Amino acid sequence: MAGLSLGALPHFIYQPIWVAIIFIAMIFWRIMAIRHFWPLPTKQISSFKLIHLAIAGIAFVLLFISYGNLIGRDAGVALLTVMLSLKVVEIRNHRDYYISCFLGYFLVVTNFFYSQNIPTALLMFIVVIIMTASLISLNDSKKSLSNKGLIKLASSMLLQAIPLMLLLFVLFPRIAGPLWGLPQDAHSGKSGIDDSMTLGKISQLILSDEIAFRVRFKDQIPAQSQLYWRGPVLWQTDGITWTELNKRHVMSHRPDFTTSGNEYAYTITLEPHNKRWLFALDFPSEPPLTPASHYTYDGQLRSIKPINQRQQIRLRSYSQFSLNPKQDDVINNALQLPDKLHPRTRQLAQTWQQQSSQPTELINKALAYFNQNDFYYTLTPPVLTGDTIDRFLFESRRGFCEHYAASFTVLMRAAGVPARIVTGYLGGEINPVDGFLVVRQRDAHAWVEVWLEDQGWIRIDPTSAVSPQRIDQGISTIMPEGFNTPLLMASSRQLIDLWHTIRTNWDALDNAWNQWILAYGPELQKEVLQKLGMTKPDWQTMALWLAMGFVLVSLLISFYLFYHRPRYDPVSQLYSTFCKKAARAGCVRPKQQGPLDFARALKQGYPHLSQQIDHITELYINLHFGKQTVSMSDLRFAIKQFKFTPSN
Amino acid sequence: MPHNDIEHILNAINAVIVGKNKPVKLALSCLLAGGHLLIEDLPGVGKTTLAHTLAKTLGLSFQRIQFTSDMLPADILGVAIFNRDTQEFSLHKGPIFTQLILADEVNRATPRTQSALLEAMEEHQITIENQTYDLPEPFFIIATQNPSNQIGTFPLPESQLDRFLMRIELGYPNAQAERDLLLGQDRRQLVHDLTAVINSDQLNVLQDAVSKVHVSSALIDYIQKILAYTRDSGQFVYGLSPRAGIALLRAAQAWALIAQHQQVLPEDVQAVLPNVIAHRLPLRAQNATSDFITDLINAIAIP
Repeated sequence: MAGLSLGALPHFIYQPIWVAIIFIAMIFWRIMAIRHFWPLPTKQISSFKLIHLAIAGIAFVLLFISYGNLIGRDAGVALLTVMLSLKVVEIRNHRDYYISCFLGYFLVVTNFFYSQNIPTALLMFIVVIIMTASLISLNDSKKSLSNKGLIKLASSMLLQAIPLMLLLFVLFPRIAGPLWGLPQDAHSGKSGIDDSMTLGKISQLILSDEIAFRVRFKDQIPAQSQLYWRGPVLWQTDGITWTELNKRHVMSHRPDFTTSGNEYAYTITLEPHNKRWLFALDFPSEPPLTPASHYTYDGQLRSIKPINQRQQIRLRSYSQFSLNPKQDDVINNALQLPDKLHPRTRQLAQTWQQQSSQPTELINKALAYFNQNDFYYTLTPPVLTGDTIDRFLFESRRGFCEHYAASFTVLMRAAGVPARIVTGYLGGEINPVDGFLVVRQRDAHAWVEVWLEDQGWIRIDPTSAVSPQRIDQGISTIMPEGFNTPLLMASSRQLIDLWHTIRTNWDALDNAWNQWILAYGPELQKEVLQKLGMTKPDWQTMALWLAMGFVLVSLLISFYLFYHRPRYDPVSQLYSTFCKKAARAGCVRPKQQGPLDFARALKQGYPHLSQQIDHITELYINLHFGKQTVSMSDLRFAIKQFKFTPSN
Repeated sequence: MPHNDIEHILNAINAVIVGKNKPVKLALSCLLAGGHLLIEDLPGVGKTTLAHTLAKTLGLSFQRIQFTSDMLPADILGVAIFNRDTQEFSLHKGPIFTQLILADEVNRATPRTQSALLEAMEEHQITIENQTYDLPEPFFIIATQNPSNQIGTFPLPESQLDRFLMRIELGYPNAQAERDLLLGQDRRQLVHDLTAVINSDQLNVLQDAVSKVHVSSALIDYIQKILAYTRDSGQFVYGLSPRAGIALLRAAQAWALIAQHQQVLPEDVQAVLPNVIAHRLPLRAQNATSDFITDLINAIAIP
């Protein structure tokens, strides 16, 4: 019952409160019945039976109210949970106990519909041990094992099952995509980069410690200031919000680009964000094979389907690139500005434009403007109202990447230089334990690309003009000391370090789990099997290997059993054939019975055979327990001759 | 011929102790195996008579020591007395210098006095004032004790229990035996009239014969299985000691000799098993009620 409760516990998080209430109430009823002899529902109609039925009825009604029907994951699991708890009260005989136990196992499986992380797996493992222990206890009619003994036996049985588990895990053919598209892990609605940008929005991300993705570089890791993880590209603005350029041409056409410079190969493990875009180091040379994806014209990588499960993406990027160097229609969109807004900004840009018409000089002027005036990089800028760009540039002058990126873009457009905002992440933190680069939501960033004739789109990061630290050393240097640390610990340096160590180790463990256990889908399986030497990993070969594996395991077990088999010497074997003869005649020798006692028992049933029985027993005793003065062939002959003939 | 001797001995004893075939055989096998015997039973069921009869028929010198709570070790062992003529201490021998001692109601004595028996039982010698004296051979102690829940008893410690090869119980006689007892002669007179069936040389021959009864490796396997079971099954606070293993084998050999087997059989082991191991195995409380010796025998397959 403890197992059932533990198994059901995580469900309470995902299910309406009344499921938990009914479950706890039923368990309580049962415990009270055991401890204080509370009456339980009977087989015949009685008031308690009626109460029980009433609860069941209420549960059904509630189920329909909550879910509308009984089909589907949530409703199904809720139904199972409620029904199981009702069954617990109703347990009367062995069969009921078995049913409850097996349903408990099923409940364990349903937990993985919701979450497949390490704590869940560990908890479920404990539940399975307890379930197995209860099954053992059900069969242990003599109650010879203590609770500790039961748990010990159950654990050792499960440990013995591990080789088989591994075999099935590696070789069982994998279906692409989990059943029912689970577990969503409720990732939907989680924070992440959006397809639009309103000033002040990224700041929420920056306070989020969640992992956006992890990266494993094949060889070298680029410098921190080069780790621009390219995401959505924003073109259009209404003065407050920036959005993507949602034209068919842009969405479906491959950009015109060339790459050069250092090559970096890496694998991204992207956490689900329910959006289509992928993140790639600026600039990827080609779209990845999985998930199926393509380029947009402005250089994003977009998946065909939204990323709603953890995804491994193999990519290859180059440090230098030239993007869409030719003039085209789309570029006009990079000059769009809302009418009649940002008058002061336009004025400033126009004075610059009068001084110089060279785009590069205009860029430098804008960067210098940020650098030489008293702009500050802060994660807690004042809230801007009205014409945000004007007020930021000329009044508050406090902001972070998105403020600088947006105002820089407006300045450029006002001065006639095509510009657009690119959002994504910058930097990341290398976990020293496993060497993965961990990019968190707080690494979110926005920068600008401007179009220069013949060179195409060039990355300009106006934030670097204000806070070079952010670019070179990552976001953590900007964070206040002790951020992300439980409050109590913030007081001591050592504790902070300790906390950091624990965190990096846990991250590494979690990552390993994700990389190897959860991500073990068809592709990874194929790869692993190929490494193992399977040339053509289709399901037939896998089935063959699986069968071979089974044979191998059973062979190993039988060898073990054979090696440790009880050794019978030839005399004992002869005697046991004699005993078998006797057993066929209906006289079984208990294993603890000595030969003389057995002979006595036999002679009672077959007094006319006394002589032969005595003879055989005497020979056997002489050979097995005595000085072996007679020959074994005598015994063999005597036993061969011997027949249990009924007396006439 | 050892077998004839044994038969004569048994007949002589059974003439006095009626209806107690198995305990008598066990007691005899215990003495033939050279071990000490502990008889635990109520007063008046014939403990003393059995001991006395054994001494008489085996031709051994016999002393009875009645243990009381105020008894001192010197009362058993003897004292060293200064002899004026020889200007030396000489030993005034106590009752322990006897071949067969009946230590009656041994658990009435204090632990100190009980422990005075320890050295004597194990080493067949005693030490007084740093002087070591050998005890006569053969040397047996037959101790009787009242069930330990009686008032005024000091239960024997485990170390001392372990030194008794066997513990037997006599129990009430059956109806026929009781009738014979009531109608027959006075037991004390019968014992008094007994004559020795064998002398101590013949006893030595018999003891030799016990150690020569053939023991096969299969039987050793069986004994080892028993020992392992008591140690590993978790039913007992602790398992049997190696000394208990040796005791079991010796007792089984003696039993085999009495049963006229050419070799020790598992049946011989099973016959003596309860009496050899029951007093050496402290049971766990929750198993106290079950018949654990039968369970143990049933749990072990004969190799």
